[in-house]
Amino acid sequence: MSAPAVLAKHLSRSFGATRALVDVSFEVRGGTVCALLGRNGAGKTTAVRILTTLLRADGGSALVDGFDVSTQAHQVRTRIGVTGQSATMDELLTGSENLETIGRFCHLGAGAARRRADELLRQFDLLNAGNRLVKRYSGGMRRRLDLAASLIAEPNMLFLDEPTTGLDPVSRGEMWAYIRGLVSAGTTVLLTTQYLDEADRLADTIVVIDRGLVVARGTPEQLKSSIGRPFLRVTLPDASGAATDQVRQLLGDEAEVQGRSVSAPAADGLTTLSEVVGQLRRLGIATHEVGLELPSLDEVFSSVTDHSAGPEPSPTPVGGEA
Amino acid sequence: MSQPSLPTRSRLGGGVRDAYTATRRFLIRGRRQPDVIFGSVLIPVIFVVLFGYVFGSSISIPGGNYRAYLMPGLFAMSILFNSNNVAVAVATDMSEGVVDRFRTLPIARSAIGVGRSVSSLLLGVPVLMVMILCGLAVGWRVEDGLGNAVLAFLLFELFGFAIGWLGILVGLLAGSAQAADVIISIPTFLLGFISSVFVDPSKMPTWLRLIAYWNPMSAVVTAGRQLFGNTIGPPPSGVWSLDHPIVTTVGLALLIVLIVVPICVRLYSRSTR
Repeated sequence: MSAPAVLAKHLSRSFGATRALVDVSFEVRGGTVCALLGRNGAGKTTAVRILTTLLRADGGSALVDGFDVSTQAHQVRTRIGVTGQSATMDELLTGSENLETIGRFCHLGAGAARRRADELLRQFDLLNAGNRLVKRYSGGMRRRLDLAASLIAEPNMLFLDEPTTGLDPVSRGEMWAYIRGLVSAGTTVLLTTQYLDEADRLADTIVVIDRGLVVARGTPEQLKSSIGRPFLRVTLPDASGAATDQVRQLLGDEAEVQGRSVSAPAADGLTTLSEVVGQLRRLGIATHEVGLELPSLDEVFSSVTDHSAGPEPSPTPVGGEA
Repeated sequence: MSQPSLPTRSRLGGGVRDAYTATRRFLIRGRRQPDVIFGSVLIPVIFVVLFGYVFGSSISIPGGNYRAYLMPGLFAMSILFNSNNVAVAVATDMSEGVVDRFRTLPIARSAIGVGRSVSSLLLGVPVLMVMILCGLAVGWRVEDGLGNAVLAFLLFELFGFAIGWLGILVGLLAGSAQAADVIISIPTFLLGFISSVFVDPSKMPTWLRLIAYWNPMSAVVTAGRQLFGNTIGPPPSGVWSLDHPIVTTVGLALLIVLIVVPICVRLYSRSTR
């Protein structure tokens, strides 16, 4: 097997008394997508900033494409594309001027930079907005332009720091499609996210970070199965006793009632869901909502981080922000 | 530190090209901020009126026209204010993440700073033109030949280049645009007012007079007055920096550049936050 595209060993970094990264090690194989999953302030962004040569680590080492981020920053910079969390496009320049500037910085030459800018504007459906100032762009357009900007030099390695945070569901889906397109063309991607479903949809491997430490890692399937089972939740139109009892019996021994909703583990996922829906219909029980809930990020944390956080994970909807 | 991956000559070429790209970017930005342009033209004009007429009516300079004495001072002040704008703009840049994007590109580490300082000089040229026209309108004249006048402006620009880098340094360290504004405004006002920019320091109390004489702004302005031939001000003071104002200005500018530029380049290269 070839050398990993990213190899991070025991990275640590403090800001004053705050230990943003305590000890983080992981690797990303070439051509795969790795998601750093964690809450705000978990250390994801700090890790990405170190790997993209923006920030020095206090301890540990990291190689990107075989080059040391600390001593061979220039070589690393010629090989990576980065889309930061905060807007990294110049508001007072047009989309096209922004891309052209970056193209020139990547030493494409004026003509080639212009052509590459046009190409990327077309690829990201921004051609009509190319001559508009970025301050007039919508949030989704900015993210697309940001992503386009990180692709100017056609890097093999792409870092995306929370690529969809704050986007509406439609823009989010579009970003996912663009990212998938890049991956299928062979680009290695390291992305950070707070959303389990995003990691689930995009990543080959997930590294869960909490308080500056890696608390879990694996494929999405491994991680989810280690975390817990999906839950089925039936919400009734009102909290009347009779229907609630019926549903609780239907869902079995582990069913729990909370107000007008009843939830229980759904061992077989969708199969369980369709059975329950069928039985509800047969019994003529009117429902407000029936749904399957995946283990949430909260559960990831309460199961893999310190146990004082709470012994019994309560099922909370996943993808509520989506 | 990043290691050189290219031969020296092409690194230099790359550095120049990157600096050009950065300058171009800042010039495009500058053009799109009409409020900033308007302000930086208007303030010097207000100064000409305010100091030339409001205060100037009560200020007498031995042997001549106060407004002719004042104008070289205002040229230097506009250059000093330019470094304030630079500090605020750099701090804004740093808070917006644009610089982070540039930092992840394989560009010369000096490019962003050079682009910033060169573009701010270029954007300052029209302001200086307006000031010159104002000066001519209120009675200031070039009295020692056009060649020397051009030298005077080149000297001002050299000084402006140097303190522009001080502005960049403040912007890089300040943390926010507001902080940068406060941090640089105070020394700007002290440097500007406790000097021979506006008045003849010989009438100040002794301790203040010494500060005013040794203030680098006094040397810069005295150099300008000499080269313009506007030497109607006070007699020489016996202060070395005022007896050799041109040498002092050039030396000071080079000293600032030699010390501050490497620090700024380092700060631009990596983030601390």
